[in-house]
Amino acid sequence: MRVTDEIQSRLETAFSPTRLEVVDDSESHRGHGGYQEGGESHFNVLIRSSAFQGQSRIQRHRAVHTALGPELVAKIHALSLDIGE
Amino acid sequence: MTDTKTQIAETVKANDVVLFMKGTKEMPQCGFSSRVAGVLNYMGVDFADVNVLADEAIRGGIKEFSDWPTIPQLYVKGEFVGGCDIITEMTLSGELDQLFEDNDVTYDKDAADKIREANG
Repeated sequence: MRVTDEIQSRLETAFSPTRLEVVDDSESHRGHGGYQEGGESHFNVLIRSSAFQGQSRIQRHRAVHTALGPELVAKIHALSLDIGE
Repeated sequence: MTDTKTQIAETVKANDVVLFMKGTKEMPQCGFSSRVAGVLNYMGVDFADVNVLADEAIRGGIKEFSDWPTIPQLYVKGEFVGGCDIITEMTLSGELDQLFEDNDVTYDKDAADKIREANG
């Protein structure tokens, strides 16, 4: 499974988001640290879910990290998260 | 507690503001580290920079210490504040100003306002 799809599917399962956008932003980092041929190294994620209600910023980010799992997180060079309710 | 953890604990205790980053505040080696160091520099915050690229043990150790998988990581008065996304959001919302005020950390309010004006 492509990393993009894996991120998408894990976040859908964990948070039933009302809005979810997973963008492979690797191309804009070509030539920079962590870039790999074929992309799938840098991601921008926008997620909106009621599951984040009442959580601090750190708690929200940790919840996403946990949902993705350490192996997937380790595969990704950079992950930019925009998390909201 | 391992030596690395002790070392990290002592660093965040000894300095009011610490940024664990790739590269140094003068020469960041990653866009995300650069962004956070840039905000702190621009706001005139006196902070200690720890270059995780210079020490493999710290690079792995800080992730475990904070239970946070990415670099950069900002600490204020021994408390983990967040990484690049969180610091950016807090800068724009004014929460970072509040955090510095609550912790008696000197910063330039006008500079912070300028960042917000430029990104408003």
